[in-house]
Amino acid sequence: MNGTTSTGEDNATPLIECRDLTREFRRGEQVIRPLDGLDLELAAGSFVALMGPSGSGKSTLLNLIAGIDRPTRGTLRIGGRDLGRLSGRDLADWRSRQIGYIFQLYNLVPVLTAYENVELPLLLHGLSRGERHRRVSEALARVGLVDRHRHFPRQLSGGQEQRVAIARAIVTDPAILLADEPTGDLDHDSAAAVMDLLTSLHRELGKTLVVVTHDPAVAERAQRTLHLEKGRLVAAAEITR
Amino acid sequence: MIQTFANSSVHSLPLDYALRNLARTPLRTLLALLGSTLVLILLLGTVGFVRGMSASLRGSGGDNIIFLGAGSEESIERSEIPSRAAGVVAASLTGLREVLDQPAVSPEVHAALPIQPAEVEPSDDPPLAVVRGVTPMAFAVHPRVVLLEGRLAESGRDQVIAGRLAAELLGVERLEAGSRLRVGEREVTVTGIFDAPASVMAAEVWMPIADLQVLAQRDSVSCVVAAMPPTAEENPQAAARLLAAAEAFAATRLDLELVAMPERDYYARLEAFFAPIRAMVAAGAVLVGLGGLLGGLSILHAAFSSRIREFATLQVLGFPRRAIVMSMLEESLILHAGSLLAAAAIALVLLDGLSIRFSMGLFGIQIDEIALGAAIAAALLLSMIGIALPAWRCLRAPLPEALREG
Repeated sequence: MNGTTSTGEDNATPLIECRDLTREFRRGEQVIRPLDGLDLELAAGSFVALMGPSGSGKSTLLNLIAGIDRPTRGTLRIGGRDLGRLSGRDLADWRSRQIGYIFQLYNLVPVLTAYENVELPLLLHGLSRGERHRRVSEALARVGLVDRHRHFPRQLSGGQEQRVAIARAIVTDPAILLADEPTGDLDHDSAAAVMDLLTSLHRELGKTLVVVTHDPAVAERAQRTLHLEKGRLVAAAEITR
Repeated sequence: MIQTFANSSVHSLPLDYALRNLARTPLRTLLALLGSTLVLILLLGTVGFVRGMSASLRGSGGDNIIFLGAGSEESIERSEIPSRAAGVVAASLTGLREVLDQPAVSPEVHAALPIQPAEVEPSDDPPLAVVRGVTPMAFAVHPRVVLLEGRLAESGRDQVIAGRLAAELLGVERLEAGSRLRVGEREVTVTGIFDAPASVMAAEVWMPIADLQVLAQRDSVSCVVAAMPPTAEENPQAAARLLAAAEAFAATRLDLELVAMPERDYYARLEAFFAPIRAMVAAGAVLVGLGGLLGGLSILHAAFSSRIREFATLQVLGFPRRAIVMSMLEESLILHAGSLLAAAAIALVLLDGLSIRFSMGLFGIQIDEIALGAAIAAALLLSMIGIALPAWRCLRAPLPEALREG
């Protein structure tokens, strides 16, 4: 679907809009282009899986949507806001309010307990201790780890660590949840539990969920699977459920 | 009961985070602590050395005018002037301090003589000490000198009084009234112990001037010390006039071959003379300290660099780089505050007052407020230097790249 628009749900207002989105890196004389003129719209509340071989640009697209990378060319609008026009500080502030990011390796802070890891993003919002406590307790309850709040990451299993990471991602009530290979480091049962949790969060909280995955079982749960190759969408692989 | 973070300012990381990171790799933290403690001890020792040496030389000079042999302005031990010079000075200068209606003028002989405790076998290489031949007037011109025990030495009876630090110079545990010493070829009895705080005199042995002239086989004196009047501080113009009169006296009495100068100037010149030694001590400390500094910095660098992915994660959550740098600085400050406390405690217990031998005297290392202030400044500087490179390295990488780090 090169050079064309890959639309989201036809009847919904697009939350994420990419136009001619390009990301280039220079290595000496060589120009590497993990994203190459991507046009894409994703509706609010959708659950999208991004698939494709390594180097196809799916993680690059996720990073651009998360506001942790900037496009070389093109525009990326989220909720009507052009991320390319935000300063570094504004982008960080926007990210802390709008994005919940889930990493493949959980990326919990090892010296903080599960509770403190989940509380961490709330420190950016100037909330009272009581309000933070309410939100953290709610997030931990949602991922089923209230009884593990005092545990440090090293005292948790991989699946539990990822659930803490999910609690951390949802505690600020962001509009968009982004997950980069969220089950890539988990065994089959833990992966299924994590995907059950993400699916329920999408369904019950109405979050827009974008998941990068190599796992067809994960992609099967998404409403839409987008295949990327060499930085472009492959139209034939786009499946709508 | 769930512990939430204390309310911190928005966009800053909690102090708990910095504290717990220090306990994350205890061995690494301990090594960094040892490195910076070593650097700070060396700094305290060096500043204490320089301050102690300077203070003992500066403190040795009072509000006096000293008359030395022309050409020997920088070495009292080499100076020779006629014995009668003291009487001529007393008779020629008006306005000097008076003690019992006599002008406070003290003729002195300064000699470097081998001294040993009498009970040990004479060695081929006995330590040299400054032996000062004095009259009772010496106590009037050197009011810093106080007798701690015993009595003054009497002339013609092979008696001396010894400074409080002389024992250390001689390598004996303690000297007291009744101790026996061998000064040159002669055995003498210590009749008293004196102190002269923060001055080179505290390591000297004093004997009656006539006895020392006999022992040193000389009929000249080394110097004449004349005391300014007690009002010299309040009336500097009168003091300046008296000094000018003394200089004019020395310049006109060609037969005595004298130079006159403020005693403080003499010791200031001596202090300047030893500047290269202080510089060498400082250079040695810098070289050793540099090793400790680089070791400590490299450990800190490794500790922070292993957390690149964590710092990137914090940025993804929305924490600005400034907050992360501040948290790194908190860690570094806590670490270096620990080093500072350890170094200050070690320096105050082990180094403060430690006697250092130089030339024929002794001085004490002085860990004072200047030395401690220098250590505090150095600890602050080390805290900032310690995080500068890791902060630059950890935070300059683009986030997607930093998130892929180990």
